[in-house]
Amino acid sequence: MNAVSRRRFLVLGGSAAALAAGAAGSLAWLRGSAPDVAGLRVLSSQEYRTMAAIGRTHIPQGGAFGPGADDFDLARLFDGYLADQPEADQRDAALALNLVEFGPVLFEQHAVTFSHLPPDAQLAHWSAWGTAQQQTRREIFWSFSRFLGLTFYDHEAVWPHIAYAGPSFARLATRPAVTP
Amino acid sequence: MSDVLDCAASGFVPHDLKCDFLVIGSGCGGGTAARVLAEAGKDVILLEEGGDFVGPDKLSQRDTPMYDQLYVDRGGRTNKDRTVNILSGRVLGGGGVINACDVVPIHDATWAYWQKHHGWHDFSATAMQPYVQRALADLSANRILEQQINRNNQILRQGTQALGWRGEVMMHNRVKCQGLGSCLIGCPASAKRNPRMVAIPKALAAGARVLVRARATLIRDATTDRKRVEVQTLDAKGYHPVNRFAIDAKCVIVAANPVGTVALLRNSHLGNDQLGQHVSLQPQVPIVALMADPVNAFEGIPQAYAMTEFERHDPDHGLGGFRVESIFGTPGVLGSLVSQPGAAGKTLMAQLDHAAASLILIPDQPVGQITLRRDGRPEIDYTLTAEWKARARQAVRAAARAYFAAGAKMVVIPAAPPLVLQSEAQLAQVETLTFDAATISLISAHQQGGGRLGTSEATSACDLNGQVWGTRGVFICDGSIFPSSSSSHTMTPIITMAHALADRLASHAS
Repeated sequence: MNAVSRRRFLVLGGSAAALAAGAAGSLAWLRGSAPDVAGLRVLSSQEYRTMAAIGRTHIPQGGAFGPGADDFDLARLFDGYLADQPEADQRDAALALNLVEFGPVLFEQHAVTFSHLPPDAQLAHWSAWGTAQQQTRREIFWSFSRFLGLTFYDHEAVWPHIAYAGPSFARLATRPAVTP
Repeated sequence: MSDVLDCAASGFVPHDLKCDFLVIGSGCGGGTAARVLAEAGKDVILLEEGGDFVGPDKLSQRDTPMYDQLYVDRGGRTNKDRTVNILSGRVLGGGGVINACDVVPIHDATWAYWQKHHGWHDFSATAMQPYVQRALADLSANRILEQQINRNNQILRQGTQALGWRGEVMMHNRVKCQGLGSCLIGCPASAKRNPRMVAIPKALAAGARVLVRARATLIRDATTDRKRVEVQTLDAKGYHPVNRFAIDAKCVIVAANPVGTVALLRNSHLGNDQLGQHVSLQPQVPIVALMADPVNAFEGIPQAYAMTEFERHDPDHGLGGFRVESIFGTPGVLGSLVSQPGAAGKTLMAQLDHAAASLILIPDQPVGQITLRRDGRPEIDYTLTAEWKARARQAVRAAARAYFAAGAKMVVIPAAPPLVLQSEAQLAQVETLTFDAATISLISAHQQGGGRLGTSEATSACDLNGQVWGTRGVFICDGSIFPSSSSSHTMTPIITMAHALADRLASHAS
């Protein structure tokens, strides 16, 4: 490498690094700090906040019936689930949560991150993940929606609202069995 | 009779274990093989990575803990692009503990297809009849009775018959069923005649040793007379390794479901380039119909009736077409399929008591492959073909027509966004379902292939005895061995083949 090209390389490299640092700083500033959450095992407070926002967007309180994801702290449940998953899955989950958090910035050129959007905008943005051009976004949408649906509707406080009488063994196991 | 040994029990580390046959995996393949070999007088050890779940104290009918404990990867396994949720058992008894109990033997046309195109000369429909009969006897196979058919299943039958199409009340392996409705997360009343209730007690009675929470991680010395298999014991939940030990065995039978089997063999650097190839997931499309009157599908046998009009059995192509089978689950698993965020998703779930539901089962070509990630965990690379997608759209139209013929007010396909049909006049909208990666949530309950059994190293992973090419005494005995989709439901086919292969092993070993 001659002296000129070396200088040019250093200038370009330095500029790129400065841009990256600036962008990262801006993103961090946009995300802001999150209140400390005690007892988390894997997620950071910011990741927890994003997961909670996804939960209350996917299954909000009100509507057809009262309870929503916030009533059962599904974000903490997700943290507990992740704690017993392999480290690679924990890293993937953290990456996915950060992508969702910065989704409005990266995919819609908004100067606000997901947790700071108003509820209607959160719903519109999160719904768009399910139909996004980018396959990764759709994969993330399905992964979180499966987890939230499974854990929310398994909660006994939800069952009266979906006409589920609960585990049937105690009610039905004493009736005569139909035998072939 | 010995008890099942739980390696998660405090401080339990087996030492100096030796046997003639080490069977890895306790489902329809491994459980049956262990029983046959033990009853033939062989010294057998059966390993299971999951725990032992029997009775109402352990089988709680709750989605979150049961998917966590009874399913591989806590119910969260998917293919690489996350389109297909891959469900398989990780519990003593394997998939038989968490399936819908359907008994569907291999069709004569499929045996003929395998003979003609895959060199399964030893396995004609006629030659295999005794093994089919043994499988049916193990399962106490019986036809579901009319009084056991709940409203959810009656609706599909009503629609099918209204259109003049064929259908059938299914065979199952329940005895003294009390219609608890939670079959997919285990039967606390022990009504399923599955490997946990039949093969494993018989294996124990014949002297087999059965270890749970024991994960085989490596097979060494696979070309010698004595193999050494490294095993990790797991904690009480099966999440984390606790201790290690090794087992010396003359023969090793791997029966850990196609994904687990391929992963173990690959991690042990065994097998040829065919190992992990030709994987079938037989994806199923969920469909929900909202009815005017309550259906109350939570209770009763979830899967009792199948629309079979479009199923195809062809000696030149094997299993094809599609079939539609009623199904229902517990609230969590149903909720996990709801793809609509916000209040709309809750509105749909609030109408569950009026919902009828089916899975549309669409046999596929074995186009997938199983590889290893850098950390040694398996990855399933599987992409839906254009032909499958076209057949899936045809199948969705047929299922929706049947529901409208039965009086449905609305039919919903849980894609993103959901496809909502208000009447038969809107069936053309089914063409908007692309089935592209991660646009819909499909279910695979019948993984097959990856360890194809055949006559040539160039086209199969193991020989006609199930012995992995390039090894001496390492065998495959589960759904991996099938060259193509064996049946709409794999329990009976796997038990059938396990009887046949284990018989061969017992006689060879003699």
